[in-house]
Amino acid sequence: MNVMQQVEAAVTQTAPKISAKAVDVFYGDTHAIKAVDVEIADKMVTAFIGPSGCGKSTFLRCLNRMNDTIDSARVTGRIDLDGEDIYAPRVDPVQLRAKVGMVFQKPNPFPKSIYDNVAYGPRIHGLARDKSDLDAIVEKSLRRAALWEEVKDRLTAPGTGLSGGQQQRLCIARAIATGPEVLLMDEPCSALDPIATAQVEQLIDELRSRFCVVIVTHSMAQASRVSQKTAFFHLGELVEFDDTDRIFTNPGDHRTESYITGRIG
Amino acid sequence: MTPAKSLLAADPRTRARNRAEARFRALGLGAVLLGLGALVLLVGTILANGAGAFRQTYLTIPVTLDADRLDPAGTRDPADMAAVTTFGYAPLLAQALQQHLRQRGVAMEGIGPRDLMAIISQEAPAQIRAMVLQNPDLLDRTLELEMLAGGRIDGYFKGRVTLQSAERDANVSPAQLVLAQAMADAGMIETRFNWAFLTGSDASGQRPEAAGLGVAILGSLYMMLVVLVLALPIGVAAAVYLEEFAPKNRLTDVIEVNISNLAAVPSIVFGILGLAIFINFAGLPQSAPVVGGLVLTLMTLPTIIIATRAALRAVPPSIRAAALGLGASKMQSVFHHVLPLAAPGILTGTIIGLAQALGETAPLLLIGMVAFVRDFPAAPPEGLFDPASALPVQVYNWTQRADPAFVERAAGATLVLLGLLVTMNLIAVMLRRRFERRW
Repeated sequence: MNVMQQVEAAVTQTAPKISAKAVDVFYGDTHAIKAVDVEIADKMVTAFIGPSGCGKSTFLRCLNRMNDTIDSARVTGRIDLDGEDIYAPRVDPVQLRAKVGMVFQKPNPFPKSIYDNVAYGPRIHGLARDKSDLDAIVEKSLRRAALWEEVKDRLTAPGTGLSGGQQQRLCIARAIATGPEVLLMDEPCSALDPIATAQVEQLIDELRSRFCVVIVTHSMAQASRVSQKTAFFHLGELVEFDDTDRIFTNPGDHRTESYITGRIG
Repeated sequence: MTPAKSLLAADPRTRARNRAEARFRALGLGAVLLGLGALVLLVGTILANGAGAFRQTYLTIPVTLDADRLDPAGTRDPADMAAVTTFGYAPLLAQALQQHLRQRGVAMEGIGPRDLMAIISQEAPAQIRAMVLQNPDLLDRTLELEMLAGGRIDGYFKGRVTLQSAERDANVSPAQLVLAQAMADAGMIETRFNWAFLTGSDASGQRPEAAGLGVAILGSLYMMLVVLVLALPIGVAAAVYLEEFAPKNRLTDVIEVNISNLAAVPSIVFGILGLAIFINFAGLPQSAPVVGGLVLTLMTLPTIIIATRAALRAVPPSIRAAALGLGASKMQSVFHHVLPLAAPGILTGTIIGLAQALGETAPLLLIGMVAFVRDFPAAPPEGLFDPASALPVQVYNWTQRADPAFVERAAGATLVLLGLLVTMNLIAVMLRRRFERRW
């Protein structure tokens, strides 16, 4: 165990950023997530891996209550963010989502300018006092998303005119701009080519210093490259959750081993 | 080595399939040509019949406005002068015409004073009277006045009336036509573009030459205004609620089916509804554009709701997810992102709904818009409650009148209506092109 991992282990032992207890999700009669317990630490990247349909995206969407938008979805159990139950009746999902940002599988910039894409969140949440303040937030967010140098001369150009990888980084910048504490990423590289994927992965590694990042991926190589913790989901169950190194070198469950070695999934 | 089945010779199956395809293509092409032919025939007929309505024959003669006859009281007070009716003005014009023709040496063989007067439209005395009452200072002066020629004379210059047809016509004699031709040769009669057709109001059955579409155009415009102001916000609000906010349950299913059914309800049913609710129950005035607009709003709503829902459904869900993921509320995601993207579709649907409403006749007949209306409605909003006509109803009205000159007017009105519809559809296409965004 190297020094970095020791530090990370120490962090984990303090209070987790997100803690889920006995979470079940139903889509109508389908039992999509079965009794998942997981504790996600701050300032590191946690990867959810597993075969298609295993529930990893569904679980991710519980963390910012995006499942609320699906009529038939029902979530039970308890999910705490900094010790507060996010499914408590008094919680407004709108406030929660400002704290827990999300990046989707397919880049989905608004059909507006690059500037307006990034400025949208700060505008609706009233984060900027004036125009120069907003400009600063936009620049900072684009810099953190490693996109500033590429787009600084064409901020008024439509966001949809960027390449796929740039669009995804724009979406990350847009999510960062609202000042979230947690970033959820739902297979953020699955629609990107290898070069853009590498850029986004590097970016995710940098984001770790400021945010709690949770990434869903079905590329095991990606999970091993970017994450410090990995959770393996199978058929709606959380099979194993441990340090990434351990999952990939010495998995505790035979199903994890089968998946990693390519026998299932 | 020869292949078992040569590619160079088509087998019977392939030939049969190719023949079937050729037959289908020919049928399709035939159907398209048939449709185009019918359209050309239709537009051609209307154009041939209606083009004349946009030209009108006028005659110009010097008229001395004799004060002794037009202001017998001698007060120059319009209130006293109004005692002289249009019948007092007619002989004045007949005299002026006779005198002028004599001066210019135009032969008037076989034409009595009555026949001579028939060359001038019955509208002319009223026109001169209105002019004099408005400005009594004109009395005792001799003015070069331009007035409408009679309907048959107008028809002669447009080719509708000929010397042959005049022999069988009780309303005009060949001698009158000969005289009219002589007057035209002398430069007293000319045919030119007829603005009054677009700006004037309707005229009675004896004066087709004076009938215009002004009141009908204004009435239709007012109704479109009412429809736009009511149907667009209500329709869009209903569609946004149903599509984005309402729970999907049995009740919303029933509502959805009913909206689709309403779009197919015959328009006359909406007329009966309007008559029962807006006039009999709510006590709104008959023939008023506001009632017409309300009825047409009811008719247009389903169209706008259906078009808006389709436009909303065409916005990719990823845009909604992106907005919600940023912490936008449902309403912010709809109004900031979804609605702007759906706007071209909504506008197109609205304009198509408006175009449909513009051409609708049946419900308007039931709420009294078919009445003969000469006075222009006032400016909105009061004018919305004044009696008015509507373009399609005016067409219907004119086709029922006896004088063949009204057939020409009706076809001309149809052209105006078609022109408005084509313009609206062009605007719809342009808006769609202009605002269509790609994502």
